[in-house]
This record gives sequence, C-alpha cells and structure tokens, in this order.
Amino acid sequence: MNTIFFGLLAVLSLYIFMNLGKVRASKKQMDRDDRINWGGKRRRDVQQNRDGSKIIEGSAEEVDDGAKK
Amino acid sequence: MSKHSALNTFGRSGNPAFTRNFENTETFSQTERMTLDGAVNKTAILLALCFGGAFAGWNVPALMYPGAIIGFVLALVTIFRSPSKAGATAPFYAAFQGMALGGITFFYEMQFPGIALQAIGLTFGILASLLFCYKSGLIKPTENFRLMVVSATMGIMLLYFVSFIMSFFGSGIGFIHSNGLFGIGLSLFIVGIASLNLVLDFDYIEDGADRGLPKYMEWYGAFSLMVTLIWLYLEILRLLAKLRSR
Repeated sequence: MNTIFFGLLAVLSLYIFMNLGKVRASKKQMDRDDRINWGGKRRRDVQQNRDGSKIIEGSAEEVDDGAKK
Repeated sequence: MSKHSALNTFGRSGNPAFTRNFENTETFSQTERMTLDGAVNKTAILLALCFGGAFAGWNVPALMYPGAIIGFVLALVTIFRSPSKAGATAPFYAAFQGMALGGITFFYEMQFPGIALQAIGLTFGILASLLFCYKSGLIKPTENFRLMVVSATMGIMLLYFVSFIMSFFGSGIGFIHSNGLFGIGLSLFIVGIASLNLVLDFDYIEDGADRGLPKYMEWYGAFSLMVTLIWLYLEILRLLAKLRSR
C-alpha cells in the first residue's frame, strides 16, 4: 500500500512539474514591485542621481586662454 | 557559499558577457533565449541522468564515494568557474550525484525497507506543491524572503561543516544525528529551508525566461534546481530514518 501511494505521488508530482513548469506564473506573482532583483539592475532613482551629478546646467561659455595675456 | 549568492555575484559582475546577458537582452534572437519549456525539459534530462546514476550506485554501492566527490567538484566548477558551460558540466554532475544517491539510498533501504520510495515521493510531492504555490502567487518571494532563506541555508552549511571538521577529532555535534525530539525538529527545519530554496529556483528561472537570458541559462537553472532537489531528497531521507529508528 505504501509503495503504491508513494509511487503514485512521485509519478503524479513529476507530471504536474512537467506541465505546470512550462506555464508562466500568474500576473499576481510577476507584476509586483517587491520582486527579487536577480540581475542586479540599477535602481532607476540611483541611475538618475548619477546622471544628474554629471550634468552642469546653464549656458556654455567659451574660454579663451589667450585673452588674459 | 550558496549558489544563490554566487548568482548574485556574477549577475553584478563587470564581466561584459554577463552584463550583456542581463541588461541588453535584445541582442539575442528568439531562438537563443532562455524559455520555461527549455528549463523544464533540461531539468527532466538531468533527473533522468540522476536516476541512471542512482541505478548504477544502487547496484555498485562503492561508486558512492567517487560519485559524491566528483559531483561536488563539478558543482563548484559550474557555480564559480563557468555557468555558461553548465550544458557540459550539469549532465555529468547529475549522473555522478545520482551514483552517490544510489549508494546512500541502498544503505538506508537495507536498514529501513521502503524508505527510498517514501523519500522520492515526498521530494517530488514538495516540488509539485511548491511549484503550484509559486505559479499561483500563493508564495511571493521577495528580497527579504531571499535574505532569510540564504542566511538559514548558510547557517545549516556552517553547522554541517563544523560537524564534519569535528568528526576528524573523534567528536561531533551530537543532536544533528540524534533521533530525539531536537534532532527531528532540526531535520524538519532543514527540510523546510531546502524546500524554500526551491521557490528561489523557480523565481530565478521565471525571471530569466522573462528577461530573455541566453539559452545556456536554461542548463544553469536546471542545474540549480537539481542541486536543491538532491539536498532536499537527502534531508528527507535522514528525517524519515530518524522517525523510523525511534
């Protein structure tokens, strides 16, 4: 009896894995803000900070080194 | 070190191959991308190889030692040296670990008849039920969830490592192997943590397929799942043995 029960459990579970594994996870699972960041992507706000710090706002002015001489 | 932190490391690496894989996915054509189908099929191939190895290990239990050592080395190579070559190393890993599992299971089965099938049934049962919970969104892996599972896994590995080192000096951490309430409780806890590692593997594979990682990551995802499944199987075997020896 034990053998039949656990044997069937193993076969049925493998069948479920083979079929359910190929189905995409539900939207509830995928469309979350707190998902694990597996790729180590940069967070958008950090990226914006970095970009912002490199940009000097205002009009450009031509500097002539020879003018002082 | 757990495989998950290794994934983290190479995910954040400056290596141009990995940077391209994770951030510039549009450079891969549709056929070169990781898919859920591919990862599941490759897991099935690895499982078949593992069962083949287990058949050999069951019939020749002496294969258990070389199987365990070579399998362990192949796992380290796959995780730390060449995840992109997982297609070449993972099948051998599965076959050699299968040999080790076959030998170990043989000795447990001699002592407790019927334990092997119970452990196999429970392992696949946990796999299927957690996959359902993950796909349906009942279990939602978050960064905190990963932190909790990875730190618990590290703690367990450290406990086993200390126990292994102490065994050379004729002592050990007794309660790990005891069949008392504390020993069984610890085994239950370890089975729980090993099971939760499966959820991290599912999320990693789903995320990889979603982002369109390169094709070889299917092998890596399947390998990752196999490592967890093998660990889970061994822990369930130990738990059942403790329960039946009472």
